[in-house]
Amino acid sequence: MAKIPRSFRLLSELEHGEKGIGDGSCSYGLKDPDDIAMYGWNGTILGPPHSAYENRIFSLSIYCGDTYPDTPPIVKFESKINLPCVDQTNGLVNFSRVASISSWKRDFTLETVLVELRRDMASPANRKQPQPPEFSEFPPLDLAKLAKQRK
Amino acid sequence: MAALPKRILKETERLMSDAPPGISAAPNNDNLRHFDVTVAGPDQSPYEGGVFKLELFLPDEYPMNPPKVRFLTRIYHPNIDKLGRICLDILKDKWSPALQIRTVLLSIQALLGAPNPDDPLANDVAQNWKEDEKAAIAQAKEWTRLYANGE
Repeated sequence: MAKIPRSFRLLSELEHGEKGIGDGSCSYGLKDPDDIAMYGWNGTILGPPHSAYENRIFSLSIYCGDTYPDTPPIVKFESKINLPCVDQTNGLVNFSRVASISSWKRDFTLETVLVELRRDMASPANRKQPQPPEFSEFPPLDLAKLAKQRK
Repeated sequence: MAALPKRILKETERLMSDAPPGISAAPNNDNLRHFDVTVAGPDQSPYEGGVFKLELFLPDEYPMNPPKVRFLTRIYHPNIDKLGRICLDILKDKWSPALQIRTVLLSIQALLGAPNPDDPLANDVAQNWKEDEKAAIAQAKEWTRLYANGE
């Protein structure tokens, strides 16, 4: 199998995201449509039905660093959410706490991440977690800076 | 990595030893299907004097499917968008396995010499091109000077 370079992989993810994913419960797109390096992305997850997250739209920021998709993106909830994989001080997602994506594979996509986070919300262990008031947000964070520190 | 098909090896060899005028293409050491490309702006075009960087990738399906190509250097052109994506028929429905990397790059160079605002990818650029061609060409020259200076 040919190894698709980061840029063409992200371009095809972008096109896929623009068309809208599946039932519309998750979406994503470039933060800055001029960003030729395609680092910063926005994501949204519609809270799964019959859960404490129902009827809420969660906004996320995603940063695809230079080594994506060999390494996972940095993912941060902007909307406050009470979920075990989310750091309650800053909204960062701890991938090791989401079983289905804890060991990252190159063919995982931004869609995979969002869909699996949504699945995590709907899981029996998490679906009844009490949630913070709607429309509250985690403090902002410079994901580009964070990506450099992690390198 | 799996061995490269003979066709790709041959094309690569010829590109390295006998590149068309104004064009260079060299595979990346860590991914021989991923090429660093430069294309010189054609004489008597607004891009004259500029050196444009591109990247090209040969997917598994090549040559049954076309290569993927995009500009890395910013360029003001009605058929090239802000992410460097190119609107060119042979990269889409007019692709034929008889075409090669070489012919693709020559076609891209020709596209620089013959912008087609009636089949736009960058709508704002195309509109400007149609309404005030002189201003659009001046803008293209300015961007060439700013961004395509080979640095």
